[in-house]
Amino acid sequence: MGHALLERWKPTREDPWDRSAASHLFRRAGFGAGPRTLERALAEGVEATLESLCAPRGHDPALFEGIESLLASGNHELLRAWWMALLLGDGDPLGERVTLFWHDHFATSIAKVDDVRLMHRQNLALRELGLGDFRKLLHALAKDPAMLVWLDGNENRRGQPNENFAREVLELFALGIGKYDERDIQEAARAFTGWGTDGRRFVVRKDWHDGGTKTIFGKTGDFDGDDVLELVLAHPACPRFVARRLIEEFVAVEPERAVVDALAGELVANAWSIRKTLRTLLASKLFFARDARRARIASPVELVVGTQLALELSLAPLEAAEAAARMGQALFRPPSVKGWDGGRTWINAGPWLERVNSGLAVAESFASGARELSPAPRSTADAARTALDRLLADSADPELARAVSATAEAAASPNAALGDALALILTAPEYHLA
Amino acid sequence: MQTTRRQFLIGGLAVTAAVPLASRSANALGEPGAFGSRGDADERVLVVLQLSGGNDALNMVVPGRQDAYFKLRPTLALARGSLHRLDDDFGLHPSMGALAPLFADGRASLVHGVGYPQPNRSHFRSMEIWHTADPEHPPGTQGWMGRIADELAERAPGSLVALHIGDGDLPLALRAEKSFTPTLRGKNGLELRASAGPTRVARDGLLARDGRGELAFLRSAARTTYAAAERMGAIASRASKSDYPNSRLAERLALVAKLVAGGFGTRLFHVELAGFDTHSRQAPVHAALLGELSGALAAFQQDLDAQGVGSRVTTMVFSEFGRRVEENGSKGTDHGAAAPVLFVGRTLRPGLHGTPPDLEALVEGDVPFTTDFRALYAALERDWLGVKPSTKTKPLTLFA
Repeated sequence: MGHALLERWKPTREDPWDRSAASHLFRRAGFGAGPRTLERALAEGVEATLESLCAPRGHDPALFEGIESLLASGNHELLRAWWMALLLGDGDPLGERVTLFWHDHFATSIAKVDDVRLMHRQNLALRELGLGDFRKLLHALAKDPAMLVWLDGNENRRGQPNENFAREVLELFALGIGKYDERDIQEAARAFTGWGTDGRRFVVRKDWHDGGTKTIFGKTGDFDGDDVLELVLAHPACPRFVARRLIEEFVAVEPERAVVDALAGELVANAWSIRKTLRTLLASKLFFARDARRARIASPVELVVGTQLALELSLAPLEAAEAAARMGQALFRPPSVKGWDGGRTWINAGPWLERVNSGLAVAESFASGARELSPAPRSTADAARTALDRLLADSADPELARAVSATAEAAASPNAALGDALALILTAPEYHLA
Repeated sequence: MQTTRRQFLIGGLAVTAAVPLASRSANALGEPGAFGSRGDADERVLVVLQLSGGNDALNMVVPGRQDAYFKLRPTLALARGSLHRLDDDFGLHPSMGALAPLFADGRASLVHGVGYPQPNRSHFRSMEIWHTADPEHPPGTQGWMGRIADELAERAPGSLVALHIGDGDLPLALRAEKSFTPTLRGKNGLELRASAGPTRVARDGLLARDGRGELAFLRSAARTTYAAAERMGAIASRASKSDYPNSRLAERLALVAKLVAGGFGTRLFHVELAGFDTHSRQAPVHAALLGELSGALAAFQQDLDAQGVGSRVTTMVFSEFGRRVEENGSKGTDHGAAAPVLFVGRTLRPGLHGTPPDLEALVEGDVPFTTDFRALYAALERDWLGVKPSTKTKPLTLFA
């Protein structure tokens, strides 16, 4: 049942718990780490660091104050800024990472839902349930008002079924293409008839429900929506689908079948606990493998938050959220029900220039003295070292490090040197790998 | 040279022969290709101009002879005498004076009553339908222009086949599977922020390396992007050859004209003018929007013509739906159904096509569709861009 790659990774002299391993863990389990967090992690060791990352954590309560007036404004850019403030605050890195993961998985967009309260409520559900029992999460999202608006629950009625939600549950949320046929979708849609919203509440309209007999995955009964979800969860493809998504998100893009099966076994054995399953995954040899580190393209949110943490920037949440949106990741507004495709699709001429230009703006702010590092570099050589240390301490590219040092040391002042070093690093493709 | 062209264009208004102006022009001036040849299929450009929010097309292409129009729109109906005449039955909104001559000289045309079966009155869904050309299914990974982009990109690897010019997210229409479509926000297109000389030199040196996997991909994307930004910067600094009005849309179309004339190689442009969701006190807002549209479009075509590329560009203007015929209680209009689609270009079959709306025969208070929008897409695909039509709908004859 188990798999050697899911065994606990143990640091050795050749493969130590060092800045490379620790920064990898923080980039994947959260959005990166500042110098102090990294130092503490190195001092405490991998076990304690994992324990602390995976334990239930909380945000500064101040970040939840004033939410009512924000929601009353109906302004979705403010809602986006609210979430960005939680991300930038770094109070609960794994919680935020998982919330964003589920937002991408159960991708729902304000573009159609057009109601910040519903989007906010869905976000609260994702953060409350995201690390818990997947079965509860799936049931909750199926009754989530934003989801029902997004996938046309209110159009799904007896005699005129709308397949939108049923299709996505099978295809995108729980099983994956090829694990069901069109007939299963049609029958599942009939079972979901009557689930809708009344104002902002979930309602079951009994007179809209098709109470007839349905056959789904070869099983026959007068199923309703909850029955379909139970059938989906009992399908052997379901834990494998969730396990594969976890590996893709947290480790690497193309997991081996045997590893997926083993992690699916863990998920079921742990009563579908995402927290426990992730704890196994994040501690594994698979996760810490050298070729998993800096192996995928950072998403805009990872890039923006990661840069803030590494350089202690104090970005304004509204601007940070807008920057991520310009780079192609507008929170609460995924491009389709498939979420963000990620990987190489993050990059094209427009978004790449957004990334580079915002990196250059950050570099300029240090060069001009508008921002300062603490402690401030004392010499041009010190500026180069500090910049490399903060942003690319784990890079195995000596040429880049040499170019950064040479350029910075030729600068006229430590500030100018810091600006040059940051300009080179923040625009280096290496830095855009997470 | 420019004067001659302008004189000819004005003179052209008097030409009433059935021969389209574009082909006549070459003969009249004795200058083959004076306006640029229609060009090979692989040089032709499609500009899609989206009026977001649901344009009240009935007050754009106004049925000034139908009593029902005045009856159903007691405060919003436009006086017959204020319209720019299109034909015996229809006239353009008073603020569209700049565009009217293009209808007269054959550089603009329209198709009445464009829509699709079972009209959806949600902005989001209806836009999705127009963007995917698929009313029956939820969107996949390609929009209708993205599909064309993928096909064109295969023929011209490495070029930026499609561009989105605007503020928002990439429109669904442009989502592609293989090719990539940048969004241009500024009036100068792709702009790389300046950085100190030594860091630029060091950066380019580091980027020249290949590497492996995602790193190789990023380095190559970065190199391509900087080269494109440089080329676009040079093109964007060229002067326009017509006087554009001072508006965002004009700014964006001016950039499109520069990119076409400058040989940037892009074949598909998506440009947006938003703000058409006029549920209340519609008249002044709508007049301003149509004025912006008309002025920018006319200047754009003028610019293309003056640069000798007018015959290579077709512009289509659409909105996700028209609006309810009867005005509402707030001097506005609510979401409706079919509406005319406008075309601007030099090789169009001139005139007003399709079935004109009959306001005595509304369906649920709306103008029903008489031409499926996919017939327009099919014509643009087969007859203009020379790609395989994405739908089975029979193409409409849009071109002369």
